[in-house]
Amino acid sequence: MSELVHVTVDDREVEVPKGTGLVEAAQTAGIEIPVFCYEPRLGPPVGACRMCLVEIEGIPKLQAACTLTVAPDMVIKTSATSAKAAEGQEATLEFILVNHPLDCPVCDKGGECPLQDLTFRHGPGNTRMTFQKHTVDKPIPVSPLIALDRERCILCYRCTRFSEDVAEDGQLIARNRGAHTEIATFEDEPYRSPFSGNVVELCPVGALTSTLYRFDARPWDIQNVPTVCTGCAVGCNTSATIREDKVKRILSRNHPEVDQGWLCDKGRYSYPHLRAEDRITTPLRRGRKGLTEISWDDALDEAESMLREAGSSIVTAFSGSETTEVAYALGRLLRTGLGAHSAVLPEATSDALEAFRLPLSGIAKAELVVVIGDDPVVERAPIVDLWIKEARRHGAEVVVCSPTGTEKTAPGAGAELCRELAAGRSALAKKLRASERAVLVWSGPGGGGGARLAELAHELGFAEKPGCGAFHLPSASNPRGVALGWAVAADADETNPEPIELLFVSGDDAASNADVRALAERANRVVVLTMFHELAGGWADLILPSTAALERDGTSMNLEGRVQRIRRAVLPPCPDELAWISKLAARFGVGVAPHAAGVFSEVAAELYRDLTLDDLGGHAPLPARHAYVAPAEATTLDPAESPSGGLKLQRYTALFSGPAVERVPELGFQRPDRDVEIAAGDAASRGIANGDSVLVRSNGTSVELRARVNRKLLEGVVRVAEEHAGDLHPEVEVTKA
Amino acid sequence: MAEHPSIVFAGTTDGSSVLDIGEYEKAGGFTALRKARALSPDEVIAELDASGLRGRGGAFFPTGRKWSFVPKPDQLPKPHYLVVNADESEPGTFKDREIMLRVPFRFLEGCLIAAHGIESQHVFIYIRGEYEREFEVLRDSLEAMQKADLLGGVTVVLHRGAGAYICGEETALLESLEGKRGQPRTKPPFPAIAGLYAAPTAVNNVESITTVTPVLEMGGAEYAKLGVENSSGTRVFSLSGDVVSPGNYELPHGISMRELIYDIGGGVPNGRELKAVIPGGSSTSVLTDADIDTKMDFTSLVEAGSSIGSAGVIVIDDRCCMVQLGIRVSQFYEHESCGKCTPCRVGTRWVTQILQKIEDGRAAQADLDLLLSVCDRIMGKCLCPLGDSDAIAVLSYVDKFRDEYQAHIDLGRCPFDGESSLDGILAPSDMHAHHGHETAHV
Repeated sequence: MSELVHVTVDDREVEVPKGTGLVEAAQTAGIEIPVFCYEPRLGPPVGACRMCLVEIEGIPKLQAACTLTVAPDMVIKTSATSAKAAEGQEATLEFILVNHPLDCPVCDKGGECPLQDLTFRHGPGNTRMTFQKHTVDKPIPVSPLIALDRERCILCYRCTRFSEDVAEDGQLIARNRGAHTEIATFEDEPYRSPFSGNVVELCPVGALTSTLYRFDARPWDIQNVPTVCTGCAVGCNTSATIREDKVKRILSRNHPEVDQGWLCDKGRYSYPHLRAEDRITTPLRRGRKGLTEISWDDALDEAESMLREAGSSIVTAFSGSETTEVAYALGRLLRTGLGAHSAVLPEATSDALEAFRLPLSGIAKAELVVVIGDDPVVERAPIVDLWIKEARRHGAEVVVCSPTGTEKTAPGAGAELCRELAAGRSALAKKLRASERAVLVWSGPGGGGGARLAELAHELGFAEKPGCGAFHLPSASNPRGVALGWAVAADADETNPEPIELLFVSGDDAASNADVRALAERANRVVVLTMFHELAGGWADLILPSTAALERDGTSMNLEGRVQRIRRAVLPPCPDELAWISKLAARFGVGVAPHAAGVFSEVAAELYRDLTLDDLGGHAPLPARHAYVAPAEATTLDPAESPSGGLKLQRYTALFSGPAVERVPELGFQRPDRDVEIAAGDAASRGIANGDSVLVRSNGTSVELRARVNRKLLEGVVRVAEEHAGDLHPEVEVTKA
Repeated sequence: MAEHPSIVFAGTTDGSSVLDIGEYEKAGGFTALRKARALSPDEVIAELDASGLRGRGGAFFPTGRKWSFVPKPDQLPKPHYLVVNADESEPGTFKDREIMLRVPFRFLEGCLIAAHGIESQHVFIYIRGEYEREFEVLRDSLEAMQKADLLGGVTVVLHRGAGAYICGEETALLESLEGKRGQPRTKPPFPAIAGLYAAPTAVNNVESITTVTPVLEMGGAEYAKLGVENSSGTRVFSLSGDVVSPGNYELPHGISMRELIYDIGGGVPNGRELKAVIPGGSSTSVLTDADIDTKMDFTSLVEAGSSIGSAGVIVIDDRCCMVQLGIRVSQFYEHESCGKCTPCRVGTRWVTQILQKIEDGRAAQADLDLLLSVCDRIMGKCLCPLGDSDAIAVLSYVDKFRDEYQAHIDLGRCPFDGESSLDGILAPSDMHAHHGHETAHV
């Protein structure tokens, strides 16, 4: 417990910890000091807007409360008790409003605008400004996602500070000086950052607005539904803004341990895929004339007969983004009902990391962060990237062991590196062992779903160090929950049916997964559960329309092992999965509740007895660490770099990819360019310059791409986004086109 | 005319300069540095305390005390920095450039003494971008000192500004020096604790630092005998405006304004009447002919309702329209406002607009009240002193020349009728025109 300081705010006396800011001290006393520019998540205060002026006894001039911390027996007078402070705040608002257009009736922010609210409370009743207001062109497209109205901007610098000091992309800037200061992007390039949308939420006025939400709703005719993002395994807490049964926008919902109120653009802007043109809402069956729409009753009959014919020779391919409840319900249907115990997930999962559990916010407190794996953290779990950046700003050493990292390692070398670090000979290994605040992150495929990292953490004694932790960043949002839900649905060992009579494909990610497609080649019949026609039209025998996460109830387990509640924000255009799974299961004599609450209580009884659905709805807690259970040893090694002469192709799944992102045109500029990243040395030896058109070839297949010389990339490796890599083999050669 | 001691400009006469290191050394140069290096840092600071030397940049903060705020290296084990503010830009102030041009070694010697005083190995001289010749002189002088092996392991960096008045504010200067946008920081933390690169930093004005050399030469106590109580030593006054002999004059603090303007400056030319005097740079309150016997020292000028500021004395004769003066000064602050804090960014522009309305004869009585109210609302509410400077200046013009402002309103035109000495030299109204940028094409 830190030292307490006694202060008086207006007529109230409070004791607050030493170092508390005046805004927070007043808050403790139940008194609001109004602010615009102050936002502790953006770093040190800047004192720019002057909204927080207060009188402090003994200091003649008004002081900006946001820039000061408490001193013993300080007497702070806000506008409630100090005429001088009230005059100061009114003055600030008068100045802010001098150039602010009073277009609140057509401004998206109207009704939820701090400037509006504070003007009502502290501002002047009318204007004394008789000159023409400063006018400029507007709105300016900062990017396809964000519009900037420079007349409304009050220059609080929240957006530029976010860009500079949180996302560290340095793209949003203030240019010019004095009254001509304006927010802009560097060189007027589009603001292309995975985190750009946060500036819309940070803006205290309607200067930065979302192009997807502009003029679409007013704050008094919307509802905000608290839910959780399923874009990746971070599970950022969000609110879905609903108007007339449609999702209009996604806002962050600050969970201080998970996301700190930040949200990536994939999570924020993917929602329009709910209304994609090729969304299917009616089941489809393949007949002699191809796919035809059938009724749900017919679909269930068809599914029942297909399942009966296949018996236990069914393989279920999960996306890993299903709710735990759906995975459990499918498990009840297919495992208990049919004895079909075989299922695949896109990546392995492991429970072993539960012994080294840490909230994500623990990363910010680390002194050493070691990232292992082939993928940049931002591509797998963007918010984790922000936590690591925060740690680095606080002075932490960040070591990234990857083909593009600070320590260049070959693709697939992560597991071996874990063994080396566990053996403890290198300087890094010694530092890890000695640290009380070290964090390990596995970011990439392989590694046994975190098992190899868990072995390392165990070897380093992390279980006994509460400041140390280890995280695995999976490619899907809920692979652990899906694996657990499936596992507890029945008690039997997995079988590997050969031949596969039926492949049951669950969800869009599974439907667009190349491995699943390969499995389908071997299956006699295929049932696909999907939102989009395009993903299954060519190869499914029966297509069942699926719901989106925003249309579902249930729970999801994030990469910390935190179970969080997903709430249905809007009604789906087709029956909920649990409803028809329940009906279908009944035909096989298996009882499953037709709703998430019922299924959850069954799952919870098996998995987390101390949790109720109510616990998870607000800010879900992080379960305590479990005792370490050694994971199964690696049965196959991760594919290591082959020694032959060609370049090793690393296909990566970009953050802005996948069925949902592809259906939002405004996100197009965020998707990966048609680039091949090549190391400087490899480019030079091939006479390739940055920006050159090149042919990437392997075994008779070739793709024309643009060369991007990446000075951070390990020589011998080239990187291409999955969606541009076509049929290229792991060994490629690159030549100038 | 009485002889006055030459302390800052010692060794020079009639505007001559000492640019040769041999000549400087022969005349006793670098003895203060050797003396200082034989003393402990605390002893150097004690000499400064004894001298009563106070900051010549405008804030008049005791130099020795400023240095004593810099933690000892063992208390805060980070690099320590001396940053010299050579970004002289206050209208009416042009002393530092003459110091750097005429006595560069005296200035640089002071830098090294100061660096020793705060136990710094790194000196940054932030020099106004427009000071081309001054920069060259300092560069050549530094090279000569380096060859003569006088730097004693201290790195001296000359950093040229890019034309922003705000970068004369110490924290904006530090931001700019770090390569960021030149905007003031909030204080605390003060630069002494977290200045350049968040390390302990002393920021001093060129004249202050140059005066450190004679303080060490003479000894602090001896220096303190010059000048008057609270304002020891000499001061380089920049005399400009409606005066026969404008220029820089080094004089002891406490000399009267009359002596400065009439005996030394030769009085107002062409037999015109003295109307007003701005005593310490454009940000200080205006005084009138009635104040002509005010002593030019810190306390006397505060008592007269103004401030010694940067000792830039602007003489104004009876041809000047005080509304036009207000516009000229306010335009300057509007143009130089960095745009970080609201009252300054918006207020200075608004003040200029109201003044222009008054000058144009379009103003009603309420506009004059509004002008005073807006100035009031800027005062004491900004992040740094820039906004206050505009308000202080304009408020003082209205206060001292209320009748003239009233006349503009009553007559519906400027009473000078196009004959004001400022007519035609006001900044053209499009000076502030927005130079449009291409907008983002996405």
